[in-house]
Amino acid sequence: MLPLSYALRNLFRDKSRLIQTVGGSALVVLLIMAATALNGGMAGVLSASGSPRNAILIGTGSEESIQRSEVAAQLGGIAEAGIPGVLSALGTPAASTEIHYMSFLEAKDGTRGQGLFRGVTLRALLVHPEVRLLEGTFPGAGEVMVGRLAWRKLGIAEEKLQVGSVVKLDGSEMRISGIFAAPGTVMESEVWAVLGDLYMLAQRDTASCVVLRMEEAKDFSEVELFSQQRLDLELTALRESDYYSALGAFYRPLRVMTWITAGLVAAGAIFGGFNTLYAAFASRIRELATLQAIGFGRGAVFFSLVQESVIACLAGTLLASVIALVFLDGRTIPFSIGAFTVSISPQVAIAGLGTGILLGVLGAVPPAIRCLKPSLPKALRS
Amino acid sequence: MMISCREITKSYSKGSHLVTPLENLSLEVPRGEFLALMGPSGSGKTTLLNLISGIDTPTSGDLEIDGENIAKFPRKQLTKWRARKVGYIFQLYHLIPVLTALENVELPLLITSMSRKERRRKAEAALEVVGLSDRSHHTPSELSGGQEQRVAIARALVADPALLVADEPTGDLDRESATRILELLRSLARDHEKTIVMVTHDARAAAAADRTLHLEKGKLLTEDPNLVSI
Ligand SMILES: Nc1ncnc2c1ncn2[C@@H]1O[C@H](COP(=O)(O)OP(=O)(O)OP(=O)(O)O)[C@@H](O)[C@H]1O
Ligand SMILES: [Mg+2]
Repeated sequence: MLPLSYALRNLFRDKSRLIQTVGGSALVVLLIMAATALNGGMAGVLSASGSPRNAILIGTGSEESIQRSEVAAQLGGIAEAGIPGVLSALGTPAASTEIHYMSFLEAKDGTRGQGLFRGVTLRALLVHPEVRLLEGTFPGAGEVMVGRLAWRKLGIAEEKLQVGSVVKLDGSEMRISGIFAAPGTVMESEVWAVLGDLYMLAQRDTASCVVLRMEEAKDFSEVELFSQQRLDLELTALRESDYYSALGAFYRPLRVMTWITAGLVAAGAIFGGFNTLYAAFASRIRELATLQAIGFGRGAVFFSLVQESVIACLAGTLLASVIALVFLDGRTIPFSIGAFTVSISPQVAIAGLGTGILLGVLGAVPPAIRCLKPSLPKALRS
Repeated sequence: MMISCREITKSYSKGSHLVTPLENLSLEVPRGEFLALMGPSGSGKTTLLNLISGIDTPTSGDLEIDGENIAKFPRKQLTKWRARKVGYIFQLYHLIPVLTALENVELPLLITSMSRKERRRKAEAALEVVGLSDRSHHTPSELSGGQEQRVAIARALVADPALLVADEPTGDLDRESATRILELLRSLARDHEKTIVMVTHDARAAAAADRTLHLEKGKLLTEDPNLVSI
């Protein structure tokens, strides 16, 4: 076996080639890490947003978008009375009538952005127990509370959305009463107001949905049964988790596109790598033959060449990981219904590492085979 | 006999026709002999050296080296055999540029199961034999041609092979360095019982050997005693 130092020192024979290999692999690895982190982040926020214990009663035909759904304002009362298995806390049933409303919020300085507004009552907190106030209070009339990532989704400076700030929602001035967290869910990028205010602002007399928290996940069948029996209400029952994973499916084409792009760049880099490494190995054909004359097997020489390339690509992976940690980790990315935080998780790191090793191996194998092909006498003569 | 070639032929197919650099060649070299091979360019000297040293295999004929018939060895077995039996000295030294003199010399020992410490010790001893102990941490680019060739000789003998082959080892050196290399080879044959086959174009180099053979168009000419004497 050839020593590792041989492979290592060979890397430094041509500095520009080394920079090219390290830089190229860093680019590809960074791209793969970014794609993995973004897709993972979005999938993560969508799957965390829906609880399998929660059932949503939604208007038939609007299963794909709560914002478009209309249900009777009294549905909450009817549902909690008619469905067994709804969780209750100190006698209050966990049935939250909500309006989901897409609109614009305007800050004092005139900056405005589109976001999701949710009209709720205090019962929303029973249904969405992950929501907790970080600062201030639950809103009263004329007030809103904002999720801690709402600024990112709305594109408004964070300091404009502090407790006590006044913002405009569809022309009406509202005071921010509190800031809430709902870790890892889309709710964190929403703005919540009291249900009554949203009936007025959205100029509607129907709600969007009723969210029920059940004693157990399997009690969903009771909700389903209810929606099937009360045909007059024209309802569909959805598990909250199913609703959000269906939203995720909506982003499939986008995800596929990211992967295709990453794949194309990786393929380009591998072909570029072939040329770079072929040039590097070809300039050493006689040396490689000498090693074989001395008694190193062709396999040992081949392994050393691949090792050399993998080391360069691992250096690229390290560089990419540092860049990802500094520039991507913790960044909040907005998307249609919310925002998610990018995290360079162990999975992302493993994806990067795997890509780096794969690049190193794939890029080196064909040039190494080609350079070890000539017979020994011929190679020694060259 | 250290080397005994019986009717060996080597031919290559070049496109449609056959090139035969060596034809029905027979040769015997006793252990410890320092043999010089001379001949015009293209006469098959390198080809013969490659066969004797297991770099290449003959198309036909028997090739017995130190009692083993290597003519039909498969590639892998031949590689292992080379590591044990043969040391190579090339005209252009062929040192590994990224390794120091000592590391270059140590290289053939990496194939053995020797401990790190023992490898170091042997490599240092080999460098001592060629008189370059003080250059052990220099890289090839920091050495003169003559010094590079001496490192190459140290590398060839470090694993203690019975056979050393050298293809124009002094072809690229000034006279003084060449003399030093030839003296070294002579002493390896005389004092260390190495069998040495050296290809050369230089009658003066050949004179350092015990015997000189002439190749022409792939055949050995009968020995000319006038050329052997100094
Ligand atoms: N792999 C090969 N394929 C085809 N022909 C070859 C091959 N190797 C050697 N030859 C031919 O065999 C003949 C002898 O070559 P060889 O290298 O043995 O000569 P040489 O005596 O060492 O010459 P020089 O003194 O120039 O080194 C030449 O005509 C050469 O072209
Ligand atoms: Mg030759």
